This record gives sequence, C-alpha cells and structure tokens, in this order.
Amino acid sequence: MSQAPWKKYLCSTCGTVYDEAEGDADSGIAPGTRFEDLPEDWICPVCGTAKAGFEPYA
Amino acid sequence: MDTLRIPTELVAPVFNPATFGRRGAVHDIFTRLRRDYPLSVAEVPGYDPHWIVTKYADLREISRRDDIFHGGERSKTLISQAGEALVKKYTGGQSNIWRSLVQLDPPEHGAYRAVVAPSFMPDKIAQMKDSVHAIAKTYVDRLADMAPSCDFAHDIAFMYPLKVVLDLMGVPEADHPRMLRLTQWLFSYADPDLKRPGSDLTNPDEITKTWNIVFNEFKDFYSPIIADRRKAPKPDIASLIANGRIFGNEMEERAMISYFAIVSTAGHDTTAATTATGMWVLAEQPALLARLKADPALIPGFVEETIRWASPVQQFVRSATEDYEIRGRTIRKGDLVYLSYVSANRDEEQFENAFTFDPTRSPNRHIGFGYGAHICLGQHLARLEMRALWEALIPRLQSVELAGEPQLTESEFVCGPKLVPIRFAMQ
Repeated sequence: MSQAPWKKYLCSTCGTVYDEAEGDADSGIAPGTRFEDLPEDWICPVCGTAKAGFEPYA
Repeated sequence: MDTLRIPTELVAPVFNPATFGRRGAVHDIFTRLRRDYPLSVAEVPGYDPHWIVTKYADLREISRRDDIFHGGERSKTLISQAGEALVKKYTGGQSNIWRSLVQLDPPEHGAYRAVVAPSFMPDKIAQMKDSVHAIAKTYVDRLADMAPSCDFAHDIAFMYPLKVVLDLMGVPEADHPRMLRLTQWLFSYADPDLKRPGSDLTNPDEITKTWNIVFNEFKDFYSPIIADRRKAPKPDIASLIANGRIFGNEMEERAMISYFAIVSTAGHDTTAATTATGMWVLAEQPALLARLKADPALIPGFVEETIRWASPVQQFVRSATEDYEIRGRTIRKGDLVYLSYVSANRDEEQFENAFTFDPTRSPNRHIGFGYGAHICLGQHLARLEMRALWEALIPRLQSVELAGEPQLTESEFVCGPKLVPIRFAMQ
C-alpha cells in the first residue's frame, strides 16, 4: 500500500468531500481507497455527480 | 389492474393546494401510489398528463439525468394548461415566469450556478460559523423572552433563517419583512392566510398572475441594488449576482431577477419550514427532547431527520427531451414527469420504518435537498443554521408542548408549518 498521505477530493456540484482515509461506506468503498482506485462508475453519494466532477481539496 | 393510469379520484387531490394542509392525507395518497402505481400517469382535467414519480430510486435517477429531463422547456412546477398559457403571454413565449437555477438546463445552468456556488461550499460556510451561531443565540434569547408561550413558526422559525440569508445577500434589515411577504405570496399563493391580499383563489390562473406580480416586485426592489453593486461591489451575494458573467456576457435580465428572487425566498423558507417542523416534533415527543438534552451529539442527526420529515419542497416537474426507459415504463419525448420529494422521503424501500422519526438514522440519504446538478446550493448553510439554533436552544429548553393545533400551509409546491403554538419553559 502507498505510504503517501491520504488526500481529499471535493464534489464540484454539492461540496461533498471524498476522504481517502475514510472511503465511502454507503457505496461499499473501504477506508484507505485512493481516489484513482475508485471505480469509474462511482458517483458522489450525496448528489450523484460523476467521479470526473471531483477536484483535489486541500 | 391497469397500473399505467392512476384513477383520477385517487390522484386529483395531489393537484389541489388545499390537500397539502393535511399532511396525513398527502401521505395516505402517496403511500398507496408507491404500492400500486409507483410510476404511472395522472390525467387530471385541466392539466396535461403527468408521470407521477413516487419512488426514491426513480426520483434520483431522473434528477441525475438533467441532460434528458429538462426544467425550462415546460413549467418546472405543477401548473394547469390555462396557467401555462398565461405564463407564455406574460413572458413572450417562455414556459416559466422564473428563470432561476431551478428552471435552467445545461449548459446554462452550470454557468449560472458557478456565479455564487463557491460562496456556498463547505469551506466558505465554515467561515460563517461564528456569525451564524451569534445570530442563533439572539433568536434563542428572543424565544426565552416570549416564555411561556409563542407561535414558534412565525416568531422564530420564519425570522431566523430570513435574517441569516438576507444579511448574506446584502439586503437591509428594514426590508426583511417585505422579502418574507413576497416569499409567502410566491410559495403559499393558495394559502388563505399567507396569500397575496386580493388574490382570487377561485381563479385557476391565480398562480400565474401572482407569480408575475411577485416577479415585478422583486424587479422593482432589486434593480437599484443591482445598479449600486455594479457601481461599487461589496462583499455580499448581491454583488456576485449583479456582476456575474455567463459565457463572457451579462446575465439575461429575467434570469438575474430570478437569481435574486430564488436566494431571497428558497434561501430561507425551506429552512424555516424544517425548523418549525423540528419544534413540532419535539413538542409531541418529550422523550426525544430528553434524549437530545442528554446527548447533544445527536443534534446533527436530529437536523437531518427533520429535513427528511419536513420535505418542504413537494414537487418539481420536468419534461423528457427523448424517450427514456425506467421501471419497465417508457417515458416518451415531451412527456411531463412530476417528482414527488415528499413521497421519496417516505419510500419504505429506502428508509426502514420510514414513518418513524429517528435522529439516529444512518445513513440518512434523504432527498430533501434534491439530487443531481440541481441539488440545493444552500444545503451546507441550511445545516449550519439549524445545528446552530438547536445547539443553542436544546440545552436551555426545559419543556415544550403544543398549545394548540399546528397548521400547514396549503401549498402543493413548498409546504411547511405556518402555525406551531407552543407552551414552553426555558433556562
């Protein structure tokens, strides 16, 4: 597993934050899942925006 | 059973604003529709046929496909054939009096939303935490001064989010009552207590007439503010809208006035309805108040459940721009779909014990803020406002009970409590 720090990504539509450390339990995404490893059909759990609609979040 | 067409006598009350003053009746109808007619057609005299979308999963799927299901080509809200014809007359052929974020379709919608969206993202809302908590405290103090009784809806729930949002917008406090009045004319056009004085509820064109009057009232009010903010921008939302550029151009006038109107109305009315609902629930469930007092960490969950429970936006309507298959049905190009948020938020397939108020519900993926690209822009602000109020109020609220029968607005569009009489004690 990569030792790089966990990153966060922001949904550009609704502001939901995907935190790699936490994953997305509602969608079956385990904690520690890198954003780039999310399935391409993964969507924002709050508003349904596609993965491509997320941007890096400080 | 023919499940394609809903019996008119079953579904017609959903087209009548008065029905929504009786929440139990609304839930009875949609519970039956979810069971027997989950995605079927309503043919109500005076209206074009509508697919009635009752299920959570269907509503999310359709809302997410705003490339196919548009809001601007037909009325975005339920309207009669006569009313829609009058809209075209007033607007020179458009299908909506308003051209706000609600009615716009891609790619315009994204360009307009981007004008203020950064101001409503979580990081910006977090910066407002101290100021919102300070406003919440003043309204909790005001409530304490009213003990032992008040109408929580009118005295607190209507006024607190109005203050937060209109301060953010840059509207002088002296004009806040006028904004509240216009909001009620707009969203509660058919309610006998809140409607525009002089409006004729027996006239089926009334919604269109009232909305046109409200549009012009907003235009009169905001035109000087727009001129002022263009000349000298301030750190407020009014300046962002007044100077917003859409694909390099100025906003179209109807869209700009609508932008001001949507922030000045939807920005507080739905939060007010949800907050009033929360007090209504607490007044009926003393054990719930005791739980929240014992464990304030439950307050965020309480807020989420009040949003699901209240579901202030009852419906939006979209039109299909191409044929679409869903739930074994084919929605044809040009068909109208009625999205019932109040039904989706009680969908038994999505929410276990859907008719039980549960502040520990997790996850609580309610659809009170909508879904898809049109999801409520102000959702993070609304949550902050409600958490701030309840966090300040619940530790001081010793007891509360209903002092009379609460009343809901008679509105098939945005509906919430207009009267929540309470007897209470506070520290």
